[in-house]
Amino acid sequence: MNQEFAIQAKNISKTFHISEDSHNTVKHRLFNIFNPPRSKKVEALKMMNFEVKKGECIGLIGRNGSGKSTLTKILAGVYPTDTGHININGSTLLMNLGVGMSHELTARENVYVSASVLGLKIKEIDEIFDKIIEFAELKEFVDTKIKFYSSGMVARLGFSIAVNAGADIMFLDEIFAVGDMKFQEKAVKVFESSWIEGKTVILVSHSMDTIQKYCQRSAYMKHGKMEFFGETEKAVEMYLADNN
Amino acid sequence: MIIGIVKDWIKSSNKLERLWLLAKIEFKLRYYENKLGLLWALLKPIMDICIYYIAFKVIMKTDIPAFASFLFVGLILWNFFVESTGGTIQILNTKKYLYEYSNMNKIEIYISTLLANSIGFFFNLAMFLIFYNFIESDSIGFQSQNLWIIVLFINLFILSLGMSLILSNIYIIAKDITQIWAVFTSFLFFLSPIFYKLSTFKEALPSFDYGNPIAGIIINARRVMMQGLEPDFRLMIFDFGYAFFLLFLGFVFLNKLGSKAAEKL
Repeated sequence: MNQEFAIQAKNISKTFHISEDSHNTVKHRLFNIFNPPRSKKVEALKMMNFEVKKGECIGLIGRNGSGKSTLTKILAGVYPTDTGHININGSTLLMNLGVGMSHELTARENVYVSASVLGLKIKEIDEIFDKIIEFAELKEFVDTKIKFYSSGMVARLGFSIAVNAGADIMFLDEIFAVGDMKFQEKAVKVFESSWIEGKTVILVSHSMDTIQKYCQRSAYMKHGKMEFFGETEKAVEMYLADNN
Repeated sequence: MIIGIVKDWIKSSNKLERLWLLAKIEFKLRYYENKLGLLWALLKPIMDICIYYIAFKVIMKTDIPAFASFLFVGLILWNFFVESTGGTIQILNTKKYLYEYSNMNKIEIYISTLLANSIGFFFNLAMFLIFYNFIESDSIGFQSQNLWIIVLFINLFILSLGMSLILSNIYIIAKDITQIWAVFTSFLFFLSPIFYKLSTFKEALPSFDYGNPIAGIIINARRVMMQGLEPDFRLMIFDFGYAFFLLFLGFVFLNKLGSKAAEKL
């Protein structure tokens, strides 16, 4: 694949089959052999093509249920696509209120597991461990299981891991909604610093200010269809027009 | 040259480190969270041994020599199999946090969980060796044949991994595989020579030692650990055949069904 691109998506689409009565046991299936479950088709993503270059920051906007989160999940490799194919060049990280953390583990264990999943070696994690905890402001609770944390604390830890461990391609789903005002300021500062340099970022947000500030190009989605992909100004305009 | 390539791969990749890290955490979660701790890992087989010892030695007066050791070695292999198959049916659900946010390969989740079980197995194996060699009166002592247990364990590991892959991926579309497997496991338990004398077993169920993939492993484990014999190689080849076939099937299931785990569970 062309090394210049971080993501190449060709003819991808996704339909969810949501069955009304779920036949997900063997007994159910046997008793209802001649009575297949009625399923509703939800076209979450309609056929689309696009490319994202390495180092770009792309905004993803659209109203609730327009398919933004599904698209990020497909690009991050969490969901398989129904048609077409996606080329991903590098490690990916999907972040929406926490990066893959287990509530049964302590903050320390979660940091090691998450960072390791993101491709870091134990030695490298040792080096950034203190930084992660300090940034998340969780020094006194390092060895507490995160199920005892408040939701804000969990979100802060997730954000801190994502910031410090990072991945080549990051899908950030509404990350500025995390934490209190002080933490939000810190998060914004990170974004303004050199952190995102060299990284490919897909930013999902309902805050047009954020999108306009950081994204050169943006995609506007409506009813699972990518209506527009290009200049941020125009995408934002279309989104605002849709809201009125 | 091959060693060089492997070395480079280990240096540049964190996969092995990650497997070990996940295995350690899994092991810790299982044993150190409970009041009894690691003691439970040992207590479980000991209690099982007591039950079967009373039933078969005391009540039914079986004439198998060194019966406690005979049970011990059979049960630790069996428990590994049960923990690694029945215990992992819901693995894609409980370990969802590992693959829901990144493109981590799911097979690593399985291998690390089975590695955690392996730690428990080797702990029990060490206990068996101590028991057999220093406490058991009918012992024949340490033998070089004992080393074959490693090969047998690899066989068991592959078999369990294959079964675990199959079951947990079926779970995505059929939740009651849990109950079905529980019944099947107890069926298999009574059709394995865990507390029967081998000759009685073979007489009653001719060539079933070839039909049941776990039976051969237990038979061979006793040969190498307690009888000072080489493993029955024909049986061993059969059992490796089963294990690789099930592992292959498991990979097919993982590719077909596993990719939908994130949206279905």
